[in-house]
Amino acid sequence: MMTCEETRLRISPLIDGELSGPDAAAVLAHLAGCDACSWFRQDLDRVRRAAASLGPISPPDHVWLHVAGQTRMEYPDALKPRRPAAHRGAIAQWLGIAAALVVVTIGAYVVGSTTSSAPQSSNPASSASVETVAEELNLAMQHYERAITELETLAQSGSSALDPAMAKILNQNIKTINAAISESRTALVQNPGNGPARDSLFEALRRKVVVLQATVNLMNEMRKGNQVGAIEAAAAFGKKS
Amino acid sequence: MPSSNSPNRIPGGHPDLALAEQCRKNEPGAFEELYRRHSSRLFGLSCRLVGRTEAEDLLQEIFLAAHRKMGLYKGESSLGTWLFRLATNQCLDYLRSKRARLAMLTDSIDQESRTAGVGAGAILGVVDRMDLERALQLLPPGCRAVFVLHDVEGCEHREVAELLGVSDGTSKSQLHKARVRLRALLSGSPPQGQQR
Repeated sequence: MMTCEETRLRISPLIDGELSGPDAAAVLAHLAGCDACSWFRQDLDRVRRAAASLGPISPPDHVWLHVAGQTRMEYPDALKPRRPAAHRGAIAQWLGIAAALVVVTIGAYVVGSTTSSAPQSSNPASSASVETVAEELNLAMQHYERAITELETLAQSGSSALDPAMAKILNQNIKTINAAISESRTALVQNPGNGPARDSLFEALRRKVVVLQATVNLMNEMRKGNQVGAIEAAAAFGKKS
Repeated sequence: MPSSNSPNRIPGGHPDLALAEQCRKNEPGAFEELYRRHSSRLFGLSCRLVGRTEAEDLLQEIFLAAHRKMGLYKGESSLGTWLFRLATNQCLDYLRSKRARLAMLTDSIDQESRTAGVGAGAILGVVDRMDLERALQLLPPGCRAVFVLHDVEGCEHREVAELLGVSDGTSKSQLHKARVRLRALLSGSPPQGQQR
């Protein structure tokens, strides 16, 4: 009869189906009469099954931005856009998102309203009248930059309301995004027709707006003493960015 | 999915050769396609092997290495398998560079195998995935690598042994050690034999 120690050393091979013949029979015989070892087997099997259920994890968007940026630097001709025509639709979408974010954020900001005014928001439909892609790009860029300027002003004016740890996280995010923006801009200066760089730039700008918007919302809730609201804003920040 | 990714494009080769060829030629969008297809699995692998913080940097390095080495892909396996090996090696190199040496594969296994005793520390009910992810990070790098490759990624001991440069027997014993440690961590009690 196997001891508990001998049996347990064979539990992993048993649950992996690697034990057979007399060895397997001896382990099973022990398990039939030993509750402790049976529980042990059950536990290891639970761990094994839980591990098998762990799935892929989506990386943050900025990882691709860095990969694309690095690859561009190493291989300037790489990563050209697959479908250049698709940029018109994407640009119109960015334009709409940027405008909507500015309006929603400024509207929701209750403190410091005297120093901020809602920027002119462009009707996304009006982008359809813009004739060239270059004009659309410039317009979209202007909206993002306006949104970012407004949001940065609001965020700076109330930064003391933030918990230092949260402020550090937000600053780190902004720093990362700024690096991506800078890199994409550099790539565009070198090659104005670089589609992926343009996409990367708009994505980075969009992320910056989202992070700043979340910052302002968070400050708002902290100032109001609304802990639940602050937690929700912080959670939303995690989801959005 | 690229429409030109025809399985018959390169006779006798793996269907992924077409995408690899597009990447090699820097064809528009090909490398992004590769990233979209494989980044989540490789990020999961990296997170579990080296931790979330380092995994982002490592994923970048993995894809940059893939871009540089794409010419070495001969279509003998899928691109996913090729990338998986590349990613595993990058993660292991990182762990080695951190002095979390794979020599740890052989550490204290005898101690932890002394598990005879009562059923204290039993796990009650289903194992929560988040708890398991957290507990994984508390394992020594060596046995964590074996556990991740075998139980999470589904590699055979032969493959694990080859990837880690250890024997099949070491892979098996380290897997057992990892499971026993995880059991203890998930149940909130130290493994038998670690109690002093």
